[in-house]
Amino acid sequence: MARTLARTAARPAPLIGAGTRRKGTFWPYLLVAPALAGFACLLVYPLARSVVISFQHFRLGELIRGGAGFAGLANYAEALGGPEFWGVVRRTFLWTAANVVLIMVISTAVALMLPRLGRRMRLAVMSGMVLTWATPVLAATTIFQWLFQSRLGVVNWLLAGLGFDSFRDYTWFAHGGATFAILVALVVWQSVPFAALTLYAGLTTIPGELYEAARIDGAGSWQVFGRVTFPILRPLFGLITSLEVIWVFTCFAQIWAISKGGPGGATATLPVYAFQIAQSLHRYDLGSAVSTLTVLMLLAVLVVHLRRMFREENA
Amino acid sequence: MRRVAFNRPALNRVVLNTAALGVLAVSVFPVYWMVITAFKPTVDILTETPAFWPARPTLDHFATAVNAAGFWTFWRNSLAVTVSAVLLALAVALPSAFAVARLRWSGRRGFILMVFVAQTAPWSALLVPVYIIARDADMLDRLPTLTLVYFVTTLPFTIVTLRGFIAGVPRELEEAALMDGCGRAEAFRRVVLPLLAPGLMSTSLFGFITAWNEFAFANALMIKDQGDRTLPIWLSGFSNVFGTDWGATMAAATLFMLPVLLVFLVLQRRVSAGMIAGAVKG
Amino acid sequence: MRYRLLATAAAFSLALAGCGSASEPGTSGETGTTTLTVWFMRDSLSDAIVQRFTDDFQRSHPGIALNVQIQEWDGIGQKVTSALASKDAPDVIEVGNTQVAEYAASGGVRDLTAKIADLGGSDWLPGLAEPGKIDGRQYGIPWYAANRVVIYNKDLFAKAGVTTPPKTRDEWIDVTTKLNKGGVQGIYLPGQNWYTLAGFVWDEGGDLAVKDGTGWKGVLDTPQALAGMAFYQRLQALGKGPKDSDEARPPQADVFGKGDIAQIISAPGGAVAIEKANPDLKGRLGFFPIPGKTADKPGAVFTGGSDLIIPEASAHPDEAYEVVKALAGEKFQLDMAKEMSYVPNRTSYAGVLSGDEATAAMAAGAAVGHATPNSPNWAAVEAKNVIKEYMTKVLTGGDAATEAKAASEVITTILNTAS
Repeated sequence: MARTLARTAARPAPLIGAGTRRKGTFWPYLLVAPALAGFACLLVYPLARSVVISFQHFRLGELIRGGAGFAGLANYAEALGGPEFWGVVRRTFLWTAANVVLIMVISTAVALMLPRLGRRMRLAVMSGMVLTWATPVLAATTIFQWLFQSRLGVVNWLLAGLGFDSFRDYTWFAHGGATFAILVALVVWQSVPFAALTLYAGLTTIPGELYEAARIDGAGSWQVFGRVTFPILRPLFGLITSLEVIWVFTCFAQIWAISKGGPGGATATLPVYAFQIAQSLHRYDLGSAVSTLTVLMLLAVLVVHLRRMFREENA
Repeated sequence: MRRVAFNRPALNRVVLNTAALGVLAVSVFPVYWMVITAFKPTVDILTETPAFWPARPTLDHFATAVNAAGFWTFWRNSLAVTVSAVLLALAVALPSAFAVARLRWSGRRGFILMVFVAQTAPWSALLVPVYIIARDADMLDRLPTLTLVYFVTTLPFTIVTLRGFIAGVPRELEEAALMDGCGRAEAFRRVVLPLLAPGLMSTSLFGFITAWNEFAFANALMIKDQGDRTLPIWLSGFSNVFGTDWGATMAAATLFMLPVLLVFLVLQRRVSAGMIAGAVKG
Repeated sequence: MRYRLLATAAAFSLALAGCGSASEPGTSGETGTTTLTVWFMRDSLSDAIVQRFTDDFQRSHPGIALNVQIQEWDGIGQKVTSALASKDAPDVIEVGNTQVAEYAASGGVRDLTAKIADLGGSDWLPGLAEPGKIDGRQYGIPWYAANRVVIYNKDLFAKAGVTTPPKTRDEWIDVTTKLNKGGVQGIYLPGQNWYTLAGFVWDEGGDLAVKDGTGWKGVLDTPQALAGMAFYQRLQALGKGPKDSDEARPPQADVFGKGDIAQIISAPGGAVAIEKANPDLKGRLGFFPIPGKTADKPGAVFTGGSDLIIPEASAHPDEAYEVVKALAGEKFQLDMAKEMSYVPNRTSYAGVLSGDEATAAMAAGAAVGHATPNSPNWAAVEAKNVIKEYMTKVLTGGDAATEAKAASEVITTILNTAS
């Protein structure tokens, strides 16, 4: 069954009732109504409120007393005008690129490795990955803080033992670059299982004959990947990549739990920066402006994928 | 016809297995470390040479974790909110996913696009607007408010995933049932739903993990009523002004993780198949 | 079977969710009993003293029941904001003295200026009272303070031949230099302990920020403030404290517990953590006030502590005031000072601390305690770690004057953000 499902990734399935039936055309709308209602009340409405706040003068006083005044584009001007914002944007793109590249490369490698393993080893590796995937985010951040603790953490003990004496009692979380690296490691560690296992499923749908044929034609391993594997997996690959881009770009919980955007703002990505502005500085108006800009940026990044998705759907 | 030579197959096998063991170790080690730290006495934790197996295991840290005030209330609240959010998401997503996967209607493309875009919602930034809306509706300090927030957070992914599963069920099965005289709904229930089990399980797990972990909204929307706190608040209580009680923190984190593991183990075979086959069509 | 499981789960969870919100805030079932919600921070008070106070208060105020809730530090800013902005807030909230100015200026806190005399506010610790006052109106009521002293290892002092604790800065440097040899650290001073730096700056006559007309100005770049930083640098070099971290990472009590450090700068409560980390050090710890420039006045210290506020959205402001009065009153203050080793909120109560070496040292410092600038935006300066980063830059080789000017400008900008 896994193969059937994965195979449909390549081509959209034809729909029932294409064209002819008139009776009962209200059914689809009835079926999506709950979801639409949920989105409207709980997502669109708060989002609209947030955008409205971004055009107002809205601080702690306004939150408590009400009576927010109109501020026009002042918040956007302030956000876009400061060098800090653009530093955060650059950092967010760097963060997203680093994570997504690592996740996709490692996942692909793992997915390619899995079919070549013996059955028991494969089961063990897959089980290990599912354990990772099931680890709650808060538990994972706690574990990683413990692993990288300066005096008692295992990582420092291991590195010092391997001869890197500079890592003895090294305070990872006091350095921007080191903290950034730990967060990348954490996010990659947690994200690879989902991507790898999904890619692996896609791999299992490729008929063995195609591989045979390629090898008979004299293709080496890389060419097999390039000419057979990747083209078939491309839609799946595209979907997972775009999902990971969204999840990494909007990633907040892990960063806030470990470093709150520090030290020195070195791990402040856009979502963290917006939260800092709103909650620590009580500048809800500026925070909303930054969030709105974040969403626009993310949509811009995804626009290519979104257009392709739209075109591929049957009208 | 040229034959492709497989160079040194034995070495390949060794390299592969080493890589596999490496992946396994990296996946499992952090969790393993958390669990054994939870069992080590504090003296053994605060030592510079880590021990990879607890020489003198103790349950003291678990006792500390469990004895935190309101422990069972937190569990009850987290379970209630998480399970109801997951069920609500499934109940709402399933009809939508079916409508998108099987029916043809104008606005279908727009809907699926909107659902995909909904995944980009900046939830950490929506905290204040949601707070204001909840306050004005007198929904603060009420657990169902959290349920609603978690429900809409997981809804997009659930719809997208279930849609992929439904689209993958062969048309012929449904049509056979229709020809046997079943109505559409009955055909769906008898034929498609059982095959959806892996998809339902995997989206449930995703929703469970998302709601189980959430801190910011639980912290900001549940104010005066001590009886409304959830587990992430409890987990945050183990670090204090002078440092962190690592043993108790790891014990708390282990306990925190258990339900997720339990849910996964119970659904294990189906989840693997589900994750593998699901989220395939965007 | 699948549906039954599903249905059971649904019913179960809805029932639980319903139970969760069943408890009602405010008045209890009995007619005439008002239940007040009081928020204390975790680790502020021991369970014993909270119980004593609750029993005592409920006995002397029949008709009022207290619901004391302990709040976690994580996310407390959001929590208090949510509380103040809600329609039904807790009745009394403990807020740190560096945060209270911000809440006071927000309009969400009750103005208690009229009650100052009733509360004995004539000799409140300035470090607690000033931050709670905005435009001359008193919103935050001083509750307790704690400040830093020097905790030292008696054995290491004896081994180095140091018999009396230093009383002036010069003596301090001499003593520390003597201690800083042979595998022993003279003093473990992390590079980002800005509270300590503030004390040195104040001793020189400088400040972190001053009022400038209607606005504020960061003044880290004055000669006085730079002199304070220079002294910090001298002291910091007499040990191996990390230049890019603060006293919590790693927790300095744990580091001191290793036994090869002669001194740390900490509130007396740190001794408890040290003894927990290394039980062998129990009874081997001494305390003295941070030395000042001259022997007659101890070094200025940062007054840390908490104030009490009554939210405007509280449903029972008069009863809430009774609670605040009791908490700020003599009976509770003396009990708390003895039990928790805190400095009570009025200088006239400080006599209760003279019995114990640690608290006596702390009280000596408290007399010359300062608070952070009471701008509502000061919390934002702390949140951005401006001063911490400035210190690290200087300690790792940057030019003090340049860095100080840059940091001062950032502080000026943040403090002058209209609110």
